[in-house]
Amino acid sequence: MFRTALLRSARQAVRAAPRWQAPIARPVARSSLFQAKQITPSAFQAVRCYSASAGLSKEQVEGRIMDLLKNFDKVTDVSKLNGESHFHNDLGLDSLDTVEVVMAIEEEFSIEIPDKEADAIHSVKQAVDYILAQPDAH
Amino acid sequence: MARLTGLQKDVLSLYRQCLRAARRKPAENREHFRALARSEFSKYGTVDRKDFNTIEYLLRRGRRQLDMYGEEGVRDVKG
Repeated sequence: MFRTALLRSARQAVRAAPRWQAPIARPVARSSLFQAKQITPSAFQAVRCYSASAGLSKEQVEGRIMDLLKNFDKVTDVSKLNGESHFHNDLGLDSLDTVEVVMAIEEEFSIEIPDKEADAIHSVKQAVDYILAQPDAH
Repeated sequence: MARLTGLQKDVLSLYRQCLRAARRKPAENREHFRALARSEFSKYGTVDRKDFNTIEYLLRRGRRQLDMYGEEGVRDVKG
């Protein structure tokens, strides 16, 4: 009896949860098979999703990447740092440093960049364009 | 920058794997692992880019080291 009520309330909560975004909807749907307490984390994710939906502006992304480069100890000439800077030609970074920068960008925007795409990022502009094309970046 | 050769891509990919493995380590020791990877790679920065045998040997050795240090039981390295 109690169990049925629990399941029913779980199902209702699932129906009430927003469904327009596939990766969020999936854990919510699965949770109806388990206990009602499973709802809590997914509800939290749905809430987080509201705040993320605003997206990132170009200035925001550029600013965050520039801040990150400013704090990178291998960048010798900060005056050359602008939206068009090339990691190697302008900032004097070698290929290993570039890998570190791209990894730091990954962490900053909470995404994972596959090797192939990461190898193609050589400048601030390319990084900004890549991040803007990623719906998951935030 | 010139287009990367296959071998250069392998090296950069290994470096990336090392940094990713460092992220899985306890937060307070993560920098030690990063520093280790950085010093190991920069140690051989002067190897000629056409010296394929050496590079391939170093790649194999690097992968073995990554396997070893990447183990979950390894929680810290001392420089």
